[in-house]
Amino acid sequence: MSRIVKGLLISDFNVENLSAYFKNDSNAPQVVCQVAPYGQVTQSLVDANLPFWQPAPDFIVVWTRPESVLESFARALSGFTVDCAMVRKEVDEYCQNLLLAKRRTRIVFVPTWVVPTFHYGHGMLDLAPDVGVARILMQANLRLLENFDGSSNVIPLNAAKWVELAGDKAYNPRLWYLGKIPFGNDVFKAAVRDFKAALRGIEGRARKLVILDLDETLWAGVVGDVGWQEIVLGGHDPTGEALVDFQRELKALTRRGVVLAIASKNDESVALEAIREHPEMVLREQDFAGWRINWKDKAENINDLVEELNLGLDAAVFIDDNRMERARVREALPSVLVPDWPEDKRLYPLALRSLDCFDKPRISEEDRHRQQMYTTERQRTQLKARVGSIEDWLQTLDLTVTAETLNAANLGRLTQLFNKTNQMNLSTRRMTEQELLAWVGQGNRRMWGFLVSDRFGASGLTGILGIEAGDRHARIIDFILSCRVMGRKVEETMLHVAVGWARSLMMRSVQATYTPTPKNKPCYDFFQRSNFRDDGDNTFVWDATQEYPLHPAVRLLQKK
Amino acid sequence: MDITREKIIEVLYESIGELNEQRGEDQQLACSPQTPLEGGGGLDSLGFVNFVALVEEKCHDRFGRTLVLSGAKVNPTARDPFETVSSLAEYIELDLTDRLASWS
Repeated sequence: MSRIVKGLLISDFNVENLSAYFKNDSNAPQVVCQVAPYGQVTQSLVDANLPFWQPAPDFIVVWTRPESVLESFARALSGFTVDCAMVRKEVDEYCQNLLLAKRRTRIVFVPTWVVPTFHYGHGMLDLAPDVGVARILMQANLRLLENFDGSSNVIPLNAAKWVELAGDKAYNPRLWYLGKIPFGNDVFKAAVRDFKAALRGIEGRARKLVILDLDETLWAGVVGDVGWQEIVLGGHDPTGEALVDFQRELKALTRRGVVLAIASKNDESVALEAIREHPEMVLREQDFAGWRINWKDKAENINDLVEELNLGLDAAVFIDDNRMERARVREALPSVLVPDWPEDKRLYPLALRSLDCFDKPRISEEDRHRQQMYTTERQRTQLKARVGSIEDWLQTLDLTVTAETLNAANLGRLTQLFNKTNQMNLSTRRMTEQELLAWVGQGNRRMWGFLVSDRFGASGLTGILGIEAGDRHARIIDFILSCRVMGRKVEETMLHVAVGWARSLMMRSVQATYTPTPKNKPCYDFFQRSNFRDDGDNTFVWDATQEYPLHPAVRLLQKK
Repeated sequence: MDITREKIIEVLYESIGELNEQRGEDQQLACSPQTPLEGGGGLDSLGFVNFVALVEEKCHDRFGRTLVLSGAKVNPTARDPFETVSSLAEYIELDLTDRLASWS
């Protein structure tokens, strides 16, 4: 994300400090914010003609104090009894205004409500029905979240976490009375960190791969010296317990779509034996998408691994206890994220949890099964090595490609794939769910998602085709395929579907214009060998009087 | 803890360091006694608010004394304590050692 992302901050308090931290934070993306007039939240949300809505901001933050937008809550702070139904009604009214604004931007961030501790402190009454300020706040926040369920571009963020991280510096009465700034600056710094992680995740820039060292990282001790029976892992040992927790955290990451791999200086057979045999290992062989366990340079191994897994170096995180190895990888592969790592192994779980590079707006089914997909891919590759020709290999795969048009059920997964795929991507557009729906809403356009399965299992939704019909010629706008299924004739199947649709509309040709990026040369290379005519200027054309052939090894199913 | 000019200058430099996190590269305040805090090259109104809050808080944490700088400019006949880092340090030292009456 090299372009400058434009934000709009709407608040009932002074958010200039937040704006300043956005601007001067060195992490990607670079953000510049406008600040809507202080205290005019409703007007700012409702009136689309206000100047800060033009041009449309990439994202907005709507951050309010509950006592400012909820009259009932303000009354509760003053000690009155409050009807919870009234609180919910006021939350709903506030959300209606907020949902109006979501049409004018790609993303709406809404921090949950918190109240400075000096505003209440009624002891046992804090959680009592009808008068408990803390209880009413919980109910209001829950209602706020319920209002946003199903709104794909409204993302609530947990402001209570920022307050906790800031500790006793979270609230600063001096700042409040001097400048109407309710929070200490540590809260704003934590908020900017979360906002930026979310922006990266939404743009498909969340890290997808964790490459791990073994000795002194996944377990304590050197397995080659002491044998797997003597490494420290689990048991009644503080370090051993922490390392089991660390492995559990890593395993949990795989359920969020993050893939694990190993880069270790060891004898492969010795290390794999430890992974298979140690009774307290949480992570087993099948939990790793790949490994390089040898005595080579780790930077070289990481480069190989990333290539094998068809990921970019900028998708990878490398975790190693050894400072020298970290420095070497940082220097050789600057795109790989190499976090500083604590010397105390009891801090490993916390260090992992504090990484914000995996944040995503949602978790898809593909995310949950990504690790399994890589395991089956390894089996495919092993089969490919055994079978002679590529054609023979394809015949053995029992390949089924299902094309389904964009619909409510696949919109989320399709948007995720749309925004994260770099290599096989014709135009590398980035769009939200709303923008995709609006684009397809034109009658002359069609978009399909492609699901791929074979005898090893399903790869899920891995391809997208977006096409637009003109007077006599159709144009492929989006041609996107996950690198996991490249080279299995899915690309050609997508062109078969594109040409078939164009022929059904009596189009004379199908055209695809490649927009180069630093990462999408594989797409150009594919069109070069696709038998589409190369008309120059990165434009490829198929004469639609002819059908584009479907490979005989592929079974194509088309669903509406 | 002893309240000395040097320790107060340390507090002011720490505050400038934190304030600089909010400011662009071309707006960084230098940690120097001569750094102006007002006027050209000094602090805008938001920067002023943040700086005052930081200094008050840090002085309380470091010296255990309450400092209220928000009213420090009310005497029109006296020097402005916010002219430079050095003048502010002098003012704070007098305030925290109960000798503010000698500020002129």
